[in-house]
Amino acid sequence: MTVLAAEGVEKRFGRQYALRGVDLEVEAGEFLGLFGPNGAGKSTLLRLLAGLARPTDGTVRVEGRELVPDAVTPRRSLGVVTHRTMLYDGLTARENLRLHARLHGVEAVEARVETLLDRVGLARRGSDSPGSFSHGMRKRLSLARALLHDPPVLLLDEPYAGLDQRAAARLDDLLDAEAAVDRTVVLTSHDFEAGLAHADRVVVLVDGRVELDRPAGDREGFEATYRDLVGLPGGRPADAGGVGGP
Amino acid sequence: MTPRRYLRAVALVAGKDLRAELRTKRVLGASLAFALLVVVAFSFTFVRAVESLRPVAHGALWLSFLFAGTLATTRAAAVEARDGALEGLLLAPVDRSAVYLGKVLSTTLFVAAVELVSLAGVVVFLDYAPPAGALVAVAAVLVLAAAGFAATGVTLSLVASRSGLSGTLVPVLLFPLVVPLLLSGVELTRALVGGRPVGGWARILLGYDAVLLLACALLFEYVVEG
Repeated sequence: MTVLAAEGVEKRFGRQYALRGVDLEVEAGEFLGLFGPNGAGKSTLLRLLAGLARPTDGTVRVEGRELVPDAVTPRRSLGVVTHRTMLYDGLTARENLRLHARLHGVEAVEARVETLLDRVGLARRGSDSPGSFSHGMRKRLSLARALLHDPPVLLLDEPYAGLDQRAAARLDDLLDAEAAVDRTVVLTSHDFEAGLAHADRVVVLVDGRVELDRPAGDREGFEATYRDLVGLPGGRPADAGGVGGP
Repeated sequence: MTPRRYLRAVALVAGKDLRAELRTKRVLGASLAFALLVVVAFSFTFVRAVESLRPVAHGALWLSFLFAGTLATTRAAAVEARDGALEGLLLAPVDRSAVYLGKVLSTTLFVAAVELVSLAGVVVFLDYAPPAGALVAVAAVLVLAAAGFAATGVTLSLVASRSGLSGTLVPVLLFPLVVPLLLSGVELTRALVGGRPVGGWARILLGYDAVLLLACALLFEYVVEG
């Protein structure tokens, strides 16, 4: 069953095209890795799928319902983490989660908030402001915020950006857990290692177009194809973390 | 979406602002100090220089309304720009106008609080002593004007922050739009204290409040869309 669909989606900023006729269907339970160089349109596509921006042309559907800005129901099905954590430093971590839980109509708010704080390893810091958290901790709290209402679809925009190895490993564990509960996940990443570790399927965007859509395979094979697609010179060192562009 | 759920969303958004403000004093701290400074500066300048302080008191009151109100409004809106906080609210399955109205409600309370303290400052520092009933009515006018001011200020502050415009542009855009509010507020204050009828100006203030609130609520979706 298709839970998330972009049909002929186009996004322009002035005369600049960010997305050009993107068609994409994501099946229930699928873990989709969305890759591409800087400026390829990954984050824009994710914002459109989240309903945070309106396509210039085309349609986004969530569980069959069109995601127009004033559509309330499809937003119940989405959990979204972007590179911005969407947290208030004036509230404690617990208060941030309570606010979003109540806005999402979660029942048994207190129990759910404590469960999520515990799951992301922040139970002991629940009374602190996110302003006092490290980047990794803020990311984890943001993930907890996105999972509060147990959405069937989770959209993650560059969740590994700025995380050290330990924080990235912790995020890996959380994403493994999400994949295990058959949640549909769309993840954008510059980091092949991290992205491919979870993905069932990979899509590559280049200049706002889908240039590759295939099941996830081995990293080496995918990286060679990716290099061809985006015109990267060969012989990049194997330990180069970022493959988002020259 | 049921009316109950809509109102709950409005209250949740306003409530989180009030809770955060109680803790951080980010909005009220600077705005209250600024409002009182305006009143004190008027006091230093005019107390011995003019015979009747009443017009001076009205001037101080509405000037502090304009400047301290702008400061309070832009600071209240700036909280939403930090780390994409507003987008978190926009992802919630609630009508987005409820998010806007919640923001306007909390900002109105902030601006009104600043103006009520200004009014107290005017009473203390500028010997402003109209009858108690008139003073209460002036306070009500300030609160009503604060609502229209907050409705416009929140929208313009969000436009500025989301389009990368400088925050200093907000007053430039805001002041012309709130001229009818200020004009009716000043005239109502004068009429209330002077014991004159207020019907026409009261209708203008209420009508303009309603127009600003409705227009900005309708525009909100376009303001916040990426």
